Amino acid sequence: MLIVAGSPAIDPGAALRARLTGFAGFLHANGYGIGGADSVRVLETSVQTGILDQDILRWSLKALLCGRGDEWRRFDALFDAYFLPPNKKIFAESNVVTGGAREPAGGAGEGSESEPAAGAGHGVAGDTDSGAARHGASREESLASTDFRALNQAEHAREIEALMRRFARRLKHLYLRREARFHHGRRLDLQGTIRRSVASGGTPLRLAWKERRRVRPRLLLLLDVSRSMSLYSFFYLRLARALCGELADVHCFIFHTRITGVAEALRDPDPWRSQERLHLLAAGWGGGTRIGECLRDFNRDHGARLVHSRTAVIIVSDGYDTGEPELLARELATLRRRSRRLVWLNPLLNQPGFSPEGRAMRAAMPHIDLLAPGADLAGIEHVLPRIIGALR
Amino acid sequence: MLEVAALQRQLEGAGYIAESALAAALLLMLDLGRPLLLEGDAGVGKTEVARALAMVRGARLIRLQCYEGLDVHAAMYEWNYQRQLLAIKLLEHDERPTAVKEQDIFSERYLLKRPLLEAISCAEPPVLLIDEVDRADEAFEAYLLELLSDFQISIPELGTVRAVTRPLVVITSNGTRELSDALRRRCLYQYIDYPAFAKELAIVEIKAPQAAGQFARQVVEFVQSVRRMDLQKKPGIAETLDWTAALLRMGISVIDDEGAERILDTLSALIKTHDDRTGFTRDVVARIAAAC
Repeated sequence: MLIVAGSPAIDPGAALRARLTGFAGFLHANGYGIGGADSVRVLETSVQTGILDQDILRWSLKALLCGRGDEWRRFDALFDAYFLPPNKKIFAESNVVTGGAREPAGGAGEGSESEPAAGAGHGVAGDTDSGAARHGASREESLASTDFRALNQAEHAREIEALMRRFARRLKHLYLRREARFHHGRRLDLQGTIRRSVASGGTPLRLAWKERRRVRPRLLLLLDVSRSMSLYSFFYLRLARALCGELADVHCFIFHTRITGVAEALRDPDPWRSQERLHLLAAGWGGGTRIGECLRDFNRDHGARLVHSRTAVIIVSDGYDTGEPELLARELATLRRRSRRLVWLNPLLNQPGFSPEGRAMRAAMPHIDLLAPGADLAGIEHVLPRIIGALR
Repeated sequence: MLEVAALQRQLEGAGYIAESALAAALLLMLDLGRPLLLEGDAGVGKTEVARALAMVRGARLIRLQCYEGLDVHAAMYEWNYQRQLLAIKLLEHDERPTAVKEQDIFSERYLLKRPLLEAISCAEPPVLLIDEVDRADEAFEAYLLELLSDFQISIPELGTVRAVTRPLVVITSNGTRELSDALRRRCLYQYIDYPAFAKELAIVEIKAPQAAGQFARQVVEFVQSVRRMDLQKKPGIAETLDWTAALLRMGISVIDDEGAERILDTLSALIKTHDDRTGFTRDVVARIAAAC
């Protein structure tokens, strides 16, 4: 049978109730968004459905307690782990990992791990371009996880937050062509005015106006965290964290040889935990870059879900890529088609003697709406108006 | 278990093949009176669940299609102000006191019921389908939340309309926007995946009875292998049925590598983007067809 009572001395009814309500807590510990009222609902549901049939209980609780796709997919394993005692421990211990690397992360990881790590074209790395060797674009994944602790240092943090607040405020002033009724506005809304005049016997005393609806575009950040970008990646992660705090619809991914979603981790209100979660996501951090392959994985796993006609994609990368330029061009084109604007920030762009002539950059250029430099805070501030202009 | 199986049979009678888990969730939804949130890729039959449920329950299906810019007026109610204006003119020479006239003008006669108001004022509980809720904006979602918790709508001029009966609410989402946790918490949840072979075969056999046994198996096997490919837009169940119809229309009754040319001509019913289509050369189709 399904339910295992603790010991024969305890009242079986109470033990049963404790066991059932404990399940909600167990799921909560595994990263499910479950509130206190849910354990009561678990009891109600089990009274409703009965507990003698394992499948019915499983399906009912699944419908009740899951809230999103990744929770749905993990549920069966957790259900087994909880109600079949010997496995319970394993799942409880692994909960940190599952909590940190939720669906986006897990999906991307699985997708790319199946790739043969030492893919075709070993000789390519040398002739990528002259700068590649200097900046160390390489194919191997560095196993040393780079330290994220700098992410919370007060230095710069306040300035970044202030800048992102300004940026967010200006984004809020982007308008859509669709109009909606407002108390005051640019154009008279005749239909609305007549409707309002009903209350005053047909005399239009109160006028109705139309104004273009405001819209906040979705922002999608794709941050290159490969070794050649190591000088800038901390800075951009801090920026992303500030942006996530300021705007609701921001999605952030980091990529090097693989692509991983970090929005959940960045948004964690507890800075220490945020750091820990980023640590977990940083496998291979600081290694080489395969932009094309990463974008392909992104397009396949997240593209349809995350990128729509109001999405602004911001790629931050120096463009030193060891992958195939053709693949990069194709995937960028796909991403560009789905999104509204594609902005590429290249931290090296302002360096003397740098011109975007690497093979990867050349392949990417036709698909980019705006290529802008972004090496430091001042630089970002300088290009923000242009980014907003490109988003319009 | 008996109940679940019975509901599955009923749904099958209504033309919908439901997995046991979905049937169990529907039963729970009827018991608890909570909305059911369905998520999954486009074309896996989310909307169809509501249709089949309405048919099984013998209830009315009221559908609210969400879109960007959907506002309260289009979703809940609107005053029929043309008729109100007319009434005002007619009432000008009426001797009744103004307060009475005003009450008359803002009575239910001049109220245009939109889907949400319609759904809570039905005498028999209807099935309310809120389709693609992710297309509406956050503000509307918050409004919906209020409706789903209290089942009442307040109309300033008229007062509060309470639900006569509680509608069975089915909400679908394609995941173009992340839904709020508050909405998710209030709903039962069901993720609908692309159907497995047996389920899809059963669907084809129900919806396209002209496709005889072995042919239907081949069609479904072909579609299942297409879905395993790396495509931008994977074919849904509707595409499978369309394609079956297209094959029958072209007089193709067996899928093998020799007929690859002719199968290629019908692929427009199955493959819906240019990039995906360019991947389907004669060889690719022949290879998949030979494996069926």
